[in-house]
Amino acid sequence: MRLRRVVLLGGAFVLVIVKFALDVVEKNVELDLTGLGLIRELLLIAAMGGLYLVIDSLASRRESTPVRKLAFALIALGAMILGSIGLSASGVAGFDAKNLALVPLDYPSIFLASLVGLAFGVFSLVVIRLLRDLILVNRKPAARRNWLIFALLLLGSSASCLTTKPLDGSLLTGILFVMAIIVAVVNSFRLPWIVYLTKREKLFSLACAFFLFVGFTALAVQVGGGSLLRRSLLYYSHPLHNFVQLVLIFGAMYAGMAFVSTLFHLPTAEAFDRKRSEVSSLHTLSKLVTQVFDFNELVDNVTSLTLQVVGASSCWLEIISLPRGVPADGASYAVQVAARKNITQEEIDLLIAPERRGIRDTVVADRRPIVVDDVERDARFLHLRKKKGIAGSLVVVPLVSHTGLAGVLYAAKKESYGFVRDDVDAIAAFADQATVAIENARLIRESLEKERLYREMLVAQEMQKRLLPQRVPAAPAFDLDAVSTPAFEVGGDYYDFMDLGGGRIGIAVGDVSGKGVSAAFYMSEMKGIFQALGRLCASPKEFMVKANEALADSIDKRSFVSLIYAVLDTASGRLTVARAGHCPLLHIAAERVAYVRPNGLGMGLRRGPTFADAIAEEEILLEEGDVCVLYTDGITEARRGDEEFGYERLMAAARAARAGSAAGIKDDILKSVGAFTEQRPNDDDLTLVVLKWNGPERRAPRAT
Amino acid sequence: MSDFKIGQREAQSVSILDLKGYLDAHTAPKLEEAFQNLLRSQRYRIVVNCRDLSYISSAGLGVFMAFIEDVRNNKGDIKLTNMSPKVYNVFDLLGFPLLYEIFKDEQEAVTRFFDRTK
Repeated sequence: MRLRRVVLLGGAFVLVIVKFALDVVEKNVELDLTGLGLIRELLLIAAMGGLYLVIDSLASRRESTPVRKLAFALIALGAMILGSIGLSASGVAGFDAKNLALVPLDYPSIFLASLVGLAFGVFSLVVIRLLRDLILVNRKPAARRNWLIFALLLLGSSASCLTTKPLDGSLLTGILFVMAIIVAVVNSFRLPWIVYLTKREKLFSLACAFFLFVGFTALAVQVGGGSLLRRSLLYYSHPLHNFVQLVLIFGAMYAGMAFVSTLFHLPTAEAFDRKRSEVSSLHTLSKLVTQVFDFNELVDNVTSLTLQVVGASSCWLEIISLPRGVPADGASYAVQVAARKNITQEEIDLLIAPERRGIRDTVVADRRPIVVDDVERDARFLHLRKKKGIAGSLVVVPLVSHTGLAGVLYAAKKESYGFVRDDVDAIAAFADQATVAIENARLIRESLEKERLYREMLVAQEMQKRLLPQRVPAAPAFDLDAVSTPAFEVGGDYYDFMDLGGGRIGIAVGDVSGKGVSAAFYMSEMKGIFQALGRLCASPKEFMVKANEALADSIDKRSFVSLIYAVLDTASGRLTVARAGHCPLLHIAAERVAYVRPNGLGMGLRRGPTFADAIAEEEILLEEGDVCVLYTDGITEARRGDEEFGYERLMAAARAARAGSAAGIKDDILKSVGAFTEQRPNDDDLTLVVLKWNGPERRAPRAT
Repeated sequence: MSDFKIGQREAQSVSILDLKGYLDAHTAPKLEEAFQNLLRSQRYRIVVNCRDLSYISSAGLGVFMAFIEDVRNNKGDIKLTNMSPKVYNVFDLLGFPLLYEIFKDEQEAVTRFFDRTK
C-alpha cells in the first residue's frame, strides 16, 4: 500500500512538473496549438487521478467520526484560503486576456498559478472525498445513486471544458454545470450523521459548518468572479477551474445545510444524549446481570449508573425482606441498604425516618413509584424542617419481582422539581434490572443451599444404612432375611437382630411416627436403646417397658414409636412376641395362617403402669417349615389409587411363597407389592423381615 | 393428592369436628390448627367424627396426642366416633382405645360429656 502511494505521488509530481515545463515553453514559443493544450490537460487529469487514489487510500485507512471529517474539511478550506491570500499578496503581474485565452505576464505568475492550481485541485479532492463519506454514512441506495449522479455531472461538466479556451464557455458545459448544482442541492439534504452526535459534538459541528459555509462561499465567489485567483486557476487548467468551482459551491451548500440542520437538532440534543446513555447503561447493566454473580458489585453498578444517567446528586438501593407468611401490607419488613452513592446512612435514616410510617411504607404497600418534587414543602417530610440540604427532590421506585417486593431504589437531587417524567422512567428501568439481579442472586444462594442440604442428606442416608444390621444372624435352625427402603433419603423404619445368648435370638421391627429427618433421629435413638437394653431384659415385654421409659423423656408428645419384638428360642422353636402398637406378626404354618397380635400400646404415648399394663406377650411354637413375617405399614399401606395392599394380600403372597428360602419369600412379597402399586416408588418407609424355621438345633443340621 | 377437609359444628356446648379425606403428614397441620382454635376459644369438649375419614397416618395420630394433655387438664376430652373399620384398625393397632374413648355414634359421645356418673 505504502509503495503504491509513493509511486502514485511520484507519478503525479512528474506529470505536474512536465505540465509546468510545457506552460513555460508555451509562454516563450507562443505556439497556439490546441493539441499541446489538450496534452497539458490530460497530464493534469492523470496527476489528479493519481492524487485522488492516494487521498482515497489514506481516508479509508481508518474509521473516522463525522466531527473529525468536518475538522479535516476545515483544514482543507483553511489551506485554500491561505493559498488565495498568498496569491493576492504575491504581487505577480497576472495574466492578460487575449483571444479568449490567458497569457501570463511573467514567470512567477506561471509558477504561482501552478502552485495554487495544484493546491486547490488537491484540497478540492480532499473536500469531495470528505463530503462523500458524510453523505454515504448509512449507504442507502438512493443516497448512493444521487451521489453517483453528482460525481458524474461534476466530472462531465469539467471534462466538457477540455477543448474550450479558458475564457470561452460552451452550452454543454453550462447545462452540465447547472445540473451538477441542482443534484448538489439534492445531495445537501443527506445529513444522517447529525442525529447521532452528542450535544458537545453538535455544538462543535455547528461551528465547523458555519466556518465552512462562510469560507466556501467566499472562495466560490473569488473563483467565480474576476479575481487573480480565477485567472490563475483558469490559466492553469480550465477543467480544474470548473471542478474546483463546483466543489466549492457544493461545499458551501452542504455546510449551510449542515449548519441549519444542526441548529434545529440542538434543542433535542440533550434528550437524545440522555436516551442514548440510558440505552447504553441499560445494555451494560443487563450484561452485568447475566455475567456478574457478585451481588454487591451489581447493586453498586445499578446505583452508579442511575446516578450518572438521570444526573442525580445521590442514589441508594435498599433490600426489603418481608417475613414469610406475613401478608404484604407492608406492616412489618426488614430494610438493608445494599448500595449508596453520595449519601451517608445517617442522612438516609434522617430522610426516610424509619420510626414514622413514611414514604418507604407507602411504596412498599402500593408498589408504585413516587416522585417528590419539593421535599422541603412535602407533608411527608415535615420531620426534615430543620435539616435542609439532603435532598430537594426525590424519586422512590419499588423493585417488584414476580415473587414479591425485592427492594426500593431511591434517587435524589439537590434542587426541587429536579426530576422529569423521563427520569422516573429511566430509574424504573434500572430498578427492573436491579430486581432481576437481586432475584438471580437469591436463586443462586438458594440453589447452593439446596445443593448443600442434598449432600448432607446423602451423608445422613449413608449413616442410617449403617445403623441397620450389616449381616443377618445365621444358624442351621433358622433362615433370616431383611430389607428396608426409606421413602425419602432417610426414614423412620427400624429393624435389628440380637444374639441374646443361650440360643436365643431377638428380632425387632419398628416404625417411628412421621417420615424424613425427624423420624430418622428417633430411629437412631431406638437403635441405641435396643443395643443397650436388649440383652438385659429377660422377656420382650420387659424390654418394651424399659425402652418406653428410656424413650419417653426425649420424644415429642406428638411422636411415638411402634415396635414389634420377637425372641426366638432356637432350642425349642418357641417364639415370644410383644407388640408396642406395631403391625401384627404374620405366622404361616403348614395348615394355618394367622396374624399374631398381642395387646399393646405405641411407645412414647404413655409412661408407667398404663404402658406396662397394656403390653401383653404371646407365644407360638414354630413347626418345621413355618414362616414368620415382620413388617412395617409401608407394606400393608402401599397404595394404588385409594386401595391399599392390605393384610389379605400380604397373607396370600406370603403363603404362596412359604416353601422358598427367607430371601426368596422376601423377594416374592416385595414383587407382589411392586405389582400391586405398579412399581411406583414407595411413599412411606417400607421394611420387611422374614424368618423361616428349619427345626430345632439339636437335630442334625439341614440344608436350607 | 391428599385432600383433607375439616367441618366444625356445635352441639350442646360440645364442639364437633368432621374429618374428611386423607389425614397424613401433609394435612395434619390443618387438624392441628383446628384444635388450636378450639383451645384458644377455651372449648375443651371435643368430639371428632371420623365418618368420612378415609386414611390416617402416624403423623395424623400424633395430632391427637399433641392436644389431649391440654384438653384433659382443662376438664375436657377428645372423643372419637364413627370410624370405618380400616381407620379403627389403625387406631387400634397403636393402642389408642386405651387412651381415647371411641364411639360408634356421635350422639353417644356427646351425651357422654354430660354423663356425670362416669
